[in-house]
Amino acid sequence: MRDSLGKFVQRKEFEAASERLAAGKGDLTDPKQGITEAEAIEQAKQGREAAFEVLYHLHKRRVYSLCLRMVSNPAQAEDLAQEAFLQLFRKIATFRGESAFSTWLHRMTVNVVLMQLRKKGLPVVSLEETLAANDEAPKKEFGTKDVKLTGSIDRLQLQRAIDRLPPGYRTVFVLHDIEGFEHNEIAQIVGCSIGNSKSQLHKARLKLRDYLTFMRAEKAKTG
Amino acid sequence: MKCSDVERVLPELLDGAPDGAFPADFETHVKSCPACSNLVSDLKLISSEARQLAATEEPAPRVWLRIAAELRAEGLISDAAIREPESAPTRPILVPTSRRPRWSAWWLAPVAAALVAAGSYVVSHKPAPQVAKQQAPATRVASPAPVASPIPETPAATSASAPTPAPRQMAQKPAKPTDTIRPAVEPESSEEDQQFLTAVSTRAPSMRTTYENQLKAVNADIRETQAYVDRNPGDTDARQHLMDAYEQKALLYQIALDRIQ
Repeated sequence: MRDSLGKFVQRKEFEAASERLAAGKGDLTDPKQGITEAEAIEQAKQGREAAFEVLYHLHKRRVYSLCLRMVSNPAQAEDLAQEAFLQLFRKIATFRGESAFSTWLHRMTVNVVLMQLRKKGLPVVSLEETLAANDEAPKKEFGTKDVKLTGSIDRLQLQRAIDRLPPGYRTVFVLHDIEGFEHNEIAQIVGCSIGNSKSQLHKARLKLRDYLTFMRAEKAKTG
Repeated sequence: MKCSDVERVLPELLDGAPDGAFPADFETHVKSCPACSNLVSDLKLISSEARQLAATEEPAPRVWLRIAAELRAEGLISDAAIREPESAPTRPILVPTSRRPRWSAWWLAPVAAALVAAGSYVVSHKPAPQVAKQQAPATRVASPAPVASPIPETPAATSASAPTPAPRQMAQKPAKPTDTIRPAVEPESSEEDQQFLTAVSTRAPSMRTTYENQLKAVNADIRETQAYVDRNPGDTDARQHLMDAYEQKALLYQIALDRIQ
Protein backbone atom coordinates (compact mmCIF):
# COMPACT_ATOMS: atom_id res chain seq x y z
CA MET A 1 0.00 0.00 0.00
CA ARG A 2 2.91 2.28 0.78
CA ASP A 3 4.16 1.87 -2.76
CA SER A 4 0.83 2.77 -4.24
CA LEU A 5 0.57 5.72 -1.89
CA GLY A 6 3.96 6.79 -3.08
CA LYS A 7 2.83 6.60 -6.67
CA PHE A 8 -0.18 8.70 -5.84
CA VAL A 9 1.99 11.26 -4.14
CA GLN A 10 4.44 11.18 -7.02
CA ARG A 11 1.63 11.76 -9.47
CA LYS A 12 0.59 14.83 -7.57
CA GLU A 13 4.13 15.91 -7.02
CA PHE A 14 4.88 15.67 -10.70
CA GLU A 15 2.20 18.21 -11.53
CA ALA A 16 3.92 20.84 -9.45
CA ALA A 17 7.49 19.68 -9.99
CA SER A 18 8.63 22.46 -12.27
CA GLU A 19 7.33 25.17 -9.97
CA ARG A 20 8.87 23.59 -6.91
CA LEU A 21 12.12 23.12 -8.73
CA ALA A 22 12.24 26.78 -9.60
CA ALA A 23 11.36 27.73 -6.04
CA GLY A 24 13.87 25.46 -4.42
CA LYS A 25 17.06 26.13 -6.32
CA GLY A 26 19.96 28.22 -5.37
CA ASP A 27 18.66 30.28 -2.51
CA LEU A 28 19.95 29.21 0.85
CA THR A 29 17.71 31.60 2.68
CA ASP A 30 14.40 30.29 3.79
CA PRO A 31 12.07 33.02 2.59
CA LYS A 32 9.24 32.24 4.96
CA GLN A 33 11.44 32.12 8.00
CA GLY A 34 13.67 35.03 7.05
CA ILE A 35 16.84 33.36 8.23
CA THR A 36 19.98 32.29 6.47
CA GLU A 37 21.41 28.81 6.54
CA ALA A 38 24.42 29.95 8.53
CA GLU A 39 22.21 31.57 11.16
CA ALA A 40 20.06 28.47 11.35
CA ILE A 41 23.13 26.27 11.86
CA GLU A 42 24.33 28.41 14.74
CA GLN A 43 20.90 28.41 16.37
CA ALA A 44 20.51 24.68 15.82
CA LYS A 45 23.75 24.17 17.72
CA GLN A 46 21.96 25.80 20.64
CA GLY A 47 19.13 23.32 20.33
CA ARG A 48 16.48 25.56 18.88
CA GLU A 49 13.79 23.56 17.21
CA ALA A 50 12.79 26.15 14.67
CA ALA A 51 16.40 26.31 13.48
CA PHE A 52 16.37 22.58 12.89
CA GLU A 53 13.15 23.03 11.00
CA VAL A 54 14.61 25.75 8.80
CA LEU A 55 17.54 23.50 7.90
CA TYR A 56 15.18 20.66 7.22
CA HIS A 57 13.05 22.73 4.88
CA LEU A 58 16.08 24.08 3.06
CA HIS A 59 17.39 20.63 2.23
CA LYS A 60 14.46 18.25 2.45
CA ARG A 61 13.81 18.00 -1.29
CA ARG A 62 17.38 17.30 -2.21
CA VAL A 63 17.80 14.73 0.55
CA TYR A 64 14.49 13.01 -0.03
CA SER A 65 14.93 12.99 -3.81
CA LEU A 66 18.35 11.44 -3.43
CA CYS A 67 16.97 8.74 -1.15
CA LEU A 68 14.03 8.11 -3.44
CA ARG A 69 16.19 7.77 -6.54
CA MET A 70 18.48 5.35 -4.84
CA VAL A 71 15.89 3.04 -3.29
CA SER A 72 12.88 3.66 -5.56
CA ASN A 73 10.51 3.29 -2.65
CA PRO A 74 8.81 6.40 -1.20
CA ALA A 75 8.19 4.97 2.26
CA GLN A 76 11.73 3.71 2.55
CA ALA A 77 13.02 6.99 1.19
CA GLU A 78 11.15 8.86 3.91
CA ASP A 79 12.71 6.68 6.57
CA LEU A 80 16.15 7.19 5.09
CA ALA A 81 15.70 10.94 4.78
CA GLN A 82 14.57 11.03 8.39
CA GLU A 83 17.62 9.06 9.47
CA ALA A 84 19.95 11.28 7.45
CA PHE A 85 18.58 14.43 9.03
CA LEU A 86 18.69 12.92 12.50
CA GLN A 87 22.32 11.95 12.04
CA LEU A 88 23.04 15.43 10.80
CA PHE A 89 21.31 17.12 13.71
CA ARG A 90 23.02 14.85 16.22
CA LYS A 91 26.38 15.92 14.85
CA ILE A 92 25.61 19.51 14.03
CA ALA A 93 27.60 20.79 17.00
CA THR A 94 30.71 19.42 15.31
CA PHE A 95 30.09 21.27 12.07
CA ARG A 96 32.84 23.85 11.71
CA GLY A 97 31.98 25.14 8.29
CA GLU A 98 35.13 24.00 6.51
CA SER A 99 32.99 22.35 3.88
CA ALA A 100 29.61 23.34 2.57
CA PHE A 101 26.80 22.29 4.83
CA SER A 102 24.93 20.81 1.89
CA THR A 103 27.95 18.72 0.91
CA TRP A 104 28.21 17.43 4.43
CA LEU A 105 24.52 16.58 4.52
CA HIS A 106 24.51 14.88 1.15
CA ARG A 107 27.54 12.80 2.01
CA MET A 108 25.78 11.74 5.15
CA THR A 109 22.63 10.93 3.23
CA VAL A 110 24.52 8.82 0.73
CA ASN A 111 26.19 6.93 3.55
CA VAL A 112 22.85 6.31 5.25
CA VAL A 113 21.36 4.98 2.03
CA LEU A 114 24.38 2.83 1.18
CA MET A 115 24.39 1.37 4.65
CA GLN A 116 20.75 0.47 4.23
CA LEU A 117 21.39 -1.11 0.84
CA ARG A 118 24.25 -3.13 2.27
CA LYS A 119 22.07 -4.31 5.12
CA LYS A 120 19.59 -5.57 2.57
CA GLY A 121 22.34 -7.32 0.68
CA LEU A 122 21.85 -5.24 -2.42
CA PRO A 123 24.87 -4.69 -4.65
CA VAL A 124 25.87 -1.17 -3.74
CA VAL A 125 29.08 -1.77 -5.60
CA SER A 126 28.28 -4.32 -8.23
CA LEU A 127 31.69 -3.69 -9.74
CA GLU A 128 34.20 -6.05 -11.22
CA GLU A 129 33.45 -9.37 -9.67
CA THR A 130 29.70 -8.86 -9.77
CA LEU A 131 29.70 -7.57 -13.28
CA ALA A 132 31.77 -10.43 -14.56
CA ALA A 133 28.85 -12.74 -14.05
CA ASN A 134 26.14 -10.15 -14.38
CA ASP A 135 23.76 -10.56 -17.26
CA GLU A 136 22.22 -7.21 -16.40
CA ALA A 137 24.98 -5.45 -18.27
CA PRO A 138 23.54 -3.95 -21.41
CA LYS A 139 24.53 -5.73 -24.55
CA LYS A 140 25.25 -2.90 -26.87
CA GLU A 141 25.83 -3.64 -30.48
CA PHE A 142 27.65 -0.55 -31.57
CA GLY A 143 26.97 0.67 -35.01
CA THR A 144 24.19 -1.81 -35.64
CA LYS A 145 21.18 0.12 -34.37
CA ASP A 146 20.22 3.47 -35.73
CA VAL A 147 18.00 4.60 -32.89
CA LYS A 148 17.83 8.04 -31.42
CA LEU A 149 15.93 9.51 -28.53
CA THR A 150 16.01 12.97 -30.14
CA GLY A 151 14.89 16.22 -28.64
CA SER A 152 13.98 15.78 -25.04
CA ILE A 153 13.23 13.00 -22.61
CA ASP A 154 10.01 12.82 -20.69
CA ARG A 155 10.96 13.23 -17.05
CA LEU A 156 8.48 10.66 -15.81
CA GLN A 157 9.80 8.10 -18.26
CA LEU A 158 13.33 8.85 -17.17
CA GLN A 159 12.31 8.35 -13.54
CA ARG A 160 10.76 5.01 -14.39
CA ALA A 161 13.80 3.95 -16.36
CA ILE A 162 16.09 4.84 -13.45
CA ASP A 163 13.87 2.84 -11.12
CA ARG A 164 14.43 -0.19 -13.36
CA LEU A 165 18.19 0.02 -13.18
CA PRO A 166 19.95 -2.64 -11.14
CA PRO A 167 20.96 -1.15 -7.76
CA GLY A 168 24.67 -1.07 -8.56
CA TYR A 169 24.18 0.91 -11.76
CA ARG A 170 21.54 3.09 -10.16
CA THR A 171 23.79 4.12 -7.31
CA VAL A 172 26.56 5.40 -9.55
CA PHE A 173 24.17 7.00 -12.01
CA VAL A 174 22.24 8.82 -9.28
CA LEU A 175 25.39 10.01 -7.57
CA HIS A 176 27.07 11.22 -10.76
CA ASP A 177 24.42 12.34 -13.19
CA ILE A 178 21.73 13.50 -10.78
CA GLU A 179 23.61 14.56 -7.67
CA GLY A 180 26.73 15.80 -9.41
CA PHE A 181 29.38 13.83 -7.53
CA GLU A 182 32.67 13.35 -9.34
CA HIS A 183 34.03 9.90 -10.09
CA ASN A 184 36.78 10.23 -7.51
CA GLU A 185 34.17 11.12 -4.87
CA ILE A 186 31.97 8.23 -5.88
CA ALA A 187 34.93 5.88 -5.76
CA GLN A 188 35.65 7.05 -2.25
CA ILE A 189 32.05 6.92 -1.05
CA VAL A 190 31.16 3.61 -2.63
CA GLY A 191 34.55 1.97 -2.23
CA CYS A 192 35.53 1.21 -5.80
CA SER A 193 38.04 2.38 -8.34
CA ILE A 194 37.51 5.49 -10.43
CA GLY A 195 37.61 3.41 -13.58
CA ASN A 196 34.93 1.19 -12.19
CA SER A 197 32.75 4.14 -11.39
CA LYS A 198 33.10 5.36 -14.97
CA SER A 199 32.36 1.93 -16.34
CA GLN A 200 29.27 1.56 -14.15
CA LEU A 201 28.01 4.96 -15.16
CA HIS A 202 28.46 4.27 -18.86
CA LYS A 203 26.63 0.98 -18.63
CA ALA A 204 23.86 2.59 -16.65
CA ARG A 205 23.42 5.21 -19.35
CA LEU A 206 23.38 2.57 -22.07
CA LYS A 207 20.76 0.65 -20.19
CA LEU A 208 18.68 3.75 -19.67
CA ARG A 209 18.89 4.47 -23.37
CA ASP A 210 17.59 0.99 -24.10
CA TYR A 211 14.76 1.40 -21.62
CA LEU A 212 13.81 4.81 -22.95
CA THR A 213 13.91 3.67 -26.53
CA PHE A 214 11.71 0.73 -25.65
CA MET A 215 9.28 2.94 -23.75
CA ARG A 216 9.10 5.35 -26.65
CA ALA A 217 8.42 2.53 -29.08
CA GLU A 218 5.70 1.12 -26.82
CA LYS A 219 4.11 4.50 -26.48
CA ALA A 220 4.15 4.96 -30.23
CA LYS A 221 2.44 1.60 -30.66
CA THR A 222 -0.33 2.33 -28.19
CA GLY A 223 -0.64 6.01 -28.98
CA MET B 1 38.49 4.49 -35.69
CA LYS B 2 35.74 1.88 -35.77
CA CYS B 3 32.48 1.60 -33.86
CA SER B 4 34.10 -0.85 -31.48
CA ASP B 5 36.81 1.71 -30.76
CA VAL B 6 34.14 4.25 -29.93
CA GLU B 7 32.65 1.75 -27.51
CA ARG B 8 36.01 1.35 -25.84
CA VAL B 9 36.85 5.03 -25.38
CA LEU B 10 33.39 6.48 -24.86
CA PRO B 11 33.12 5.91 -21.07
CA GLU B 12 36.35 7.83 -20.61
CA LEU B 13 35.57 10.61 -23.04
CA LEU B 14 31.96 11.30 -22.29
CA ASP B 15 32.49 12.73 -18.82
CA GLY B 16 36.04 13.91 -19.18
CA ALA B 17 36.00 15.73 -22.45
CA PRO B 18 33.84 18.71 -23.20
CA ASP B 19 32.56 19.19 -26.71
CA GLY B 20 35.35 19.78 -29.12
CA ALA B 21 37.97 18.13 -26.99
CA PHE B 22 37.47 14.63 -28.35
CA PRO B 23 40.28 13.07 -30.32
CA ALA B 24 40.15 13.93 -33.98
CA ASP B 25 39.66 10.37 -35.19
CA PHE B 26 36.79 9.94 -32.69
CA GLU B 27 35.12 13.07 -33.99
CA THR B 28 35.63 12.00 -37.56
CA HIS B 29 34.07 8.62 -36.99
CA VAL B 30 31.10 9.96 -35.03
CA LYS B 31 30.36 12.49 -37.75
CA SER B 32 30.34 9.81 -40.38
CA CYS B 33 28.52 7.11 -38.41
CA PRO B 34 24.86 7.82 -37.66
CA ALA B 35 24.62 5.05 -35.09
CA CYS B 36 27.57 6.26 -33.06
CA SER B 37 26.48 9.86 -33.50
CA ASN B 38 23.02 9.03 -32.15
CA LEU B 39 24.55 7.09 -29.31
CA VAL B 40 26.79 9.93 -28.19
CA SER B 41 24.03 12.52 -28.39
CA ASP B 42 21.58 10.25 -26.56
CA LEU B 43 23.96 9.56 -23.73
CA LYS B 44 24.64 13.25 -23.36
CA LEU B 45 20.93 13.94 -23.40
CA ILE B 46 20.24 11.36 -20.71
CA SER B 47 22.97 12.83 -18.56
CA SER B 48 21.74 16.39 -18.91
CA GLU B 49 18.09 15.50 -18.34
CA ALA B 50 18.97 13.47 -15.27
CA ARG B 51 20.39 16.55 -13.59
CA GLN B 52 16.91 18.05 -13.68
CA LEU B 53 15.66 15.31 -11.39
CA ALA B 54 17.65 16.53 -8.40
CA ALA B 55 15.50 17.95 -5.62
CA THR B 56 12.22 17.50 -7.42
CA GLU B 57 10.52 15.32 -4.83
CA GLU B 58 9.16 16.59 -1.56
CA PRO B 59 8.74 14.40 1.50
CA ALA B 60 5.42 14.26 3.31
CA PRO B 61 5.01 16.63 6.27
CA ARG B 62 5.08 13.64 8.59
CA VAL B 63 8.81 13.28 8.04
CA TRP B 64 9.55 16.54 9.81
CA LEU B 65 7.10 15.71 12.59
CA ARG B 66 8.87 12.43 13.19
CA ILE B 67 12.26 14.12 13.18
CA ALA B 68 11.08 16.78 15.60
CA ALA B 69 9.61 14.15 17.91
CA GLU B 70 12.87 12.21 17.84
CA LEU B 71 14.92 15.33 18.50
CA ARG B 72 12.78 16.08 21.52
CA ALA B 73 12.98 12.51 22.73
CA GLU B 74 16.76 12.61 22.47
CA GLY B 75 16.94 15.96 24.21
CA LEU B 76 18.60 17.65 21.26
CA ILE B 77 16.15 20.48 21.50
CA SER B 78 17.27 22.32 24.58
CA ASP B 79 15.04 23.63 27.33
CA ALA B 80 16.42 27.06 26.64
CA ALA B 81 14.83 26.88 23.26
CA ILE B 82 11.37 26.87 24.73
CA ARG B 83 11.91 29.75 27.13
CA GLU B 84 11.30 33.38 26.45
CA PRO B 85 14.57 35.11 25.69
CA GLU B 86 15.51 38.01 27.91
CA SER B 87 15.86 40.36 25.01
CA ALA B 88 13.71 40.48 21.95
CA PRO B 89 15.21 38.19 19.30
CA THR B 90 16.10 39.53 15.92
CA ARG B 91 14.54 36.42 14.42
CA PRO B 92 11.55 35.92 16.66
CA ILE B 93 10.30 32.84 14.93
CA LEU B 94 13.14 30.78 16.27
CA VAL B 95 12.64 31.51 19.91
CA PRO B 96 9.61 30.17 21.73
CA THR B 97 8.49 31.85 24.90
CA SER B 98 8.64 31.24 28.59
CA ARG B 99 6.94 28.52 30.52
CA ARG B 100 3.66 29.43 32.03
CA PRO B 101 1.34 27.79 34.51
CA ARG B 102 0.31 24.34 33.43
CA TRP B 103 -2.48 24.36 30.96
CA SER B 104 -4.81 21.48 30.73
CA ALA B 105 -4.85 20.04 27.25
CA TRP B 106 -6.77 16.92 28.13
CA TRP B 107 -9.02 17.33 25.16
CA LEU B 108 -6.20 17.14 22.65
CA ALA B 109 -5.80 13.39 23.03
CA PRO B 110 -9.44 12.59 22.25
CA VAL B 111 -9.36 15.05 19.39
CA ALA B 112 -6.34 13.29 17.95
CA ALA B 113 -8.09 9.95 18.35
CA ALA B 114 -11.19 11.35 16.74
CA LEU B 115 -9.15 12.61 13.81
CA VAL B 116 -7.78 9.16 13.14
CA ALA B 117 -11.25 7.67 13.50
CA ALA B 118 -12.62 10.27 11.15
CA GLY B 119 -9.92 9.50 8.64
CA SER B 120 -10.60 5.80 8.89
CA TYR B 121 -14.26 6.38 8.31
CA VAL B 122 -13.70 8.63 5.33
CA VAL B 123 -11.36 6.26 3.57
CA SER B 124 -13.39 3.17 4.30
CA HIS B 125 -16.61 4.58 2.89
CA LYS B 126 -17.36 5.67 -0.59
CA PRO B 127 -19.55 8.75 -0.38
CA ALA B 128 -21.06 10.39 -3.39
CA PRO B 129 -19.10 13.52 -4.18
CA GLN B 130 -21.82 15.92 -3.04
CA VAL B 131 -22.43 14.00 0.15
CA ALA B 132 -18.78 14.01 0.97
CA LYS B 133 -18.70 17.74 0.67
CA GLN B 134 -21.66 18.21 2.97
CA GLN B 135 -20.85 15.80 5.74
CA ALA B 136 -18.14 16.06 8.30
CA PRO B 137 -16.52 12.65 8.69
CA ALA B 138 -16.12 12.99 12.40
CA THR B 139 -19.80 13.63 12.84
CA ARG B 140 -20.54 10.31 11.21
CA VAL B 141 -18.58 8.23 13.66
CA ALA B 142 -18.75 7.54 17.31
CA SER B 143 -15.67 9.16 18.68
CA PRO B 144 -13.38 6.81 20.59
CA ALA B 145 -12.64 9.65 22.94
CA PRO B 146 -13.42 9.02 26.59
CA VAL B 147 -15.07 12.39 26.87
CA ALA B 148 -17.31 14.43 24.65
CA SER B 149 -14.59 15.86 22.52
CA PRO B 150 -14.89 18.66 20.07
CA ILE B 151 -15.14 17.17 16.65
CA PRO B 152 -13.20 18.69 13.80
CA GLU B 153 -14.97 19.61 10.66
CA THR B 154 -14.02 18.05 7.42
CA PRO B 155 -11.85 20.12 5.20
CA ALA B 156 -14.54 19.98 2.57
CA ALA B 157 -17.10 21.25 5.03
CA THR B 158 -14.91 24.04 6.25
CA SER B 159 -14.05 25.03 2.76
CA ALA B 160 -17.61 26.03 2.15
CA SER B 161 -17.35 28.74 4.75
CA ALA B 162 -13.86 29.85 4.02
CA PRO B 163 -13.52 31.97 0.97
CA THR B 164 -10.12 33.32 1.97
CA PRO B 165 -7.25 31.37 0.50
CA ALA B 166 -4.70 30.10 2.99
CA PRO B 167 -1.25 29.52 1.54
CA ARG B 168 0.40 26.17 2.16
CA GLN B 169 3.57 26.95 3.94
CA MET B 170 4.97 23.75 5.29
CA ALA B 171 4.40 21.63 2.23
CA GLN B 172 5.46 24.53 0.04
CA LYS B 173 3.22 23.53 -2.79
CA PRO B 174 2.51 26.67 -4.74
CA ALA B 175 -1.05 27.41 -5.58
CA LYS B 176 -1.82 27.10 -9.25
CA PRO B 177 -4.90 28.49 -10.86
CA THR B 178 -4.91 25.54 -13.22
CA ASP B 179 -4.32 22.92 -10.56
CA THR B 180 -7.02 20.38 -11.14
CA ILE B 181 -6.60 18.80 -7.74
CA ARG B 182 -6.88 21.95 -5.70
CA PRO B 183 -10.47 23.02 -5.01
CA ALA B 184 -11.60 26.53 -5.72
CA VAL B 185 -11.62 27.58 -2.07
CA GLU B 186 -9.29 26.93 0.79
CA PRO B 187 -10.50 25.85 4.20
CA GLU B 188 -9.99 27.85 7.30
CA SER B 189 -9.21 26.21 10.58
CA SER B 190 -12.02 24.43 12.34
CA GLU B 191 -13.20 25.47 15.78
CA GLU B 192 -11.02 22.77 17.29
CA ASP B 193 -8.03 23.97 15.34
CA GLN B 194 -8.62 27.44 16.71
CA GLN B 195 -8.85 26.05 20.25
CA PHE B 196 -5.69 24.13 19.61
CA LEU B 197 -3.86 27.22 18.42
CA THR B 198 -5.22 29.24 21.31
CA ALA B 199 -3.89 26.62 23.68
CA VAL B 200 -0.51 26.73 22.00
CA SER B 201 -0.55 30.53 22.16
CA THR B 202 -1.30 30.40 25.86
CA ARG B 203 1.35 27.87 26.66
CA ALA B 204 4.05 28.63 24.11
CA PRO B 205 3.11 31.78 22.22
CA SER B 206 6.00 31.90 19.83
CA MET B 207 5.34 28.34 18.73
CA ARG B 208 1.96 29.35 17.43
CA THR B 209 3.25 30.30 14.02
CA THR B 210 5.00 27.00 13.61
CA TYR B 211 1.95 24.98 14.58
CA GLU B 212 -0.33 27.22 12.61
CA ASN B 213 1.75 26.68 9.49
CA GLN B 214 1.83 22.95 10.02
CA LEU B 215 -1.88 22.87 10.66
CA LYS B 216 -2.54 24.83 7.49
CA ALA B 217 -0.36 22.43 5.55
CA VAL B 218 -2.04 19.31 6.84
CA ASN B 219 -5.51 20.81 6.48
CA ALA B 220 -4.71 21.74 2.92
CA ASP B 221 -3.47 18.23 2.29
CA ILE B 222 -6.65 16.75 3.71
CA ARG B 223 -8.82 19.11 1.75
CA GLU B 224 -6.89 18.60 -1.45
CA THR B 225 -6.97 14.84 -1.16
CA GLN B 226 -10.62 14.88 -0.11
CA ALA B 227 -11.47 16.81 -3.23
CA TYR B 228 -9.55 14.29 -5.29
CA VAL B 229 -11.33 11.40 -3.57
CA ASP B 230 -14.67 13.08 -4.20
CA ARG B 231 -13.90 13.11 -7.89
CA ASN B 232 -12.28 9.68 -7.91
CA PRO B 233 -14.09 7.66 -5.24
CA GLY B 234 -12.64 4.40 -6.51
CA ASP B 235 -9.02 5.47 -6.14
CA THR B 236 -7.73 3.42 -3.22
CA ASP B 237 -4.38 5.15 -3.32
CA ALA B 238 -6.06 8.47 -2.77
CA ARG B 239 -8.07 7.05 0.12
CA GLN B 240 -4.92 5.78 1.73
CA HIS B 241 -3.31 9.15 1.26
CA LEU B 242 -6.31 10.78 2.89
CA MET B 243 -6.03 8.42 5.85
CA ASP B 244 -2.38 9.32 6.12
CA ALA B 245 -3.25 12.99 6.12
CA TYR B 246 -5.67 12.51 9.01
CA GLU B 247 -3.03 10.55 10.88
CA GLN B 248 -0.65 13.39 10.20
CA LYS B 249 -3.04 15.83 11.81
CA ALA B 250 -3.55 13.55 14.77
CA LEU B 251 0.21 13.30 15.17
CA LEU B 252 0.46 17.08 15.14
CA TYR B 253 -2.07 17.32 17.95
CA GLN B 254 -0.27 14.58 19.84
CA ILE B 255 3.08 16.30 19.57
CA ALA B 256 1.57 19.52 20.79
CA LEU B 257 0.06 17.64 23.70
CA ASP B 258 3.44 16.21 24.61
CA ARG B 259 5.07 19.60 24.48
CA ILE B 260 2.62 21.73 26.36
CA GLN B 261 1.53 19.35 29.07
